[in-house]
Amino acid sequence: MRYISLAFIISLVFNGCNTTPKLKDPIVNVIDSCSNSYIQILDLKGRIKDDGFMQAQVRGKNITNSYFRVEYKIVWLDANGFTIDSILSNWTTTPADANQPFYIHEISPNTKAKSFRFYLRKEGKTICQQQSNLL
Amino acid sequence: MPTTIKLTLSSILATLLLNGCGATKTVNIDLNHDQNTHAVMGLDYRDFQSAAQDMIKSLISSGAIDKPNGGRYVLAISRITNDTMQHIDTDQLVKKIRVALLRSGKVVVTTAIGVNGAEDKMAMQTRKDLRGNAEFNQKTVAAKGQMIAPDMSLSGKIIQRNITVDSSTQQVEYYFQMTMTDINTNLAYWEDEKVIGKRGSNNSVAW
Repeated sequence: MRYISLAFIISLVFNGCNTTPKLKDPIVNVIDSCSNSYIQILDLKGRIKDDGFMQAQVRGKNITNSYFRVEYKIVWLDANGFTIDSILSNWTTTPADANQPFYIHEISPNTKAKSFRFYLRKEGKTICQQQSNLL
Repeated sequence: MPTTIKLTLSSILATLLLNGCGATKTVNIDLNHDQNTHAVMGLDYRDFQSAAQDMIKSLISSGAIDKPNGGRYVLAISRITNDTMQHIDTDQLVKKIRVALLRSGKVVVTTAIGVNGAEDKMAMQTRKDLRGNAEFNQKTVAAKGQMIAPDMSLSGKIIQRNITVDSSTQQVEYYFQMTMTDINTNLAYWEDEKVIGKRGSNNSVAW
């Protein structure tokens, strides 16, 4: 009973009031939650395709009543955690309709990518950082 | 007049002459964060970067560069037509794509052939000049039949359309179109188009 209580307390300490949805894909591990007054991150997925490239999908939601463009970038990391330098890691934009979900699809620059770090911002302000690990 | 005052006046005069009055200050561009300011009607580095980024993503995602039995495809760069009013070196786009494809580990680009002859003429020149030349150790000269013929060819076009919106506003549309063709079958295995639109004053020139 003592062990169960201890595990429960540890779980609370580590998870806090995390609103990040539970991800079905076991290879994805969301390290940091991401929520603010403009954007909500609903889901984050990563997988290795048959050709060896890593694919990432982020599902977010514009929780405001106005359209805006979301700026994001993905930094790809190899098996040792080193960044993979690529033009595909530059900031890019995607439309986010008012009160609607938006999807971001990205592909790794090569087959050495094993995880990624995802950055999201509105109007040049960094508001969110999440990471997916396959390690 | 004391020397100190003379020196001060001279330096003020020199500063004014060098800087001009109200001249735009020259600054280095922060290439990592320059997206929301000073858009231009013509194509600038941000447009080429954005177009290249989308093309690379599309090409890698399509699976067209994944060789069925492993290994790398050999890619030849075909003609990238500049059908705009601007003086564009199409390498501004193609080089970015080439670099990314090379780094993907799935493609190598041949410089031995091109639309206007070999891109790197030295490869052929060294063969012609050094083969049979007694001054060179013939074992170090490239042997015959060593060059690899390309499997794929990358071609494309950049198109510009100017549209008058009203008496003071114009719209300029740029279309980046690219195709990857299997040289053996002449079938296009990948194609994509990226459109960049700009709207601004009629006083701005788009060339």
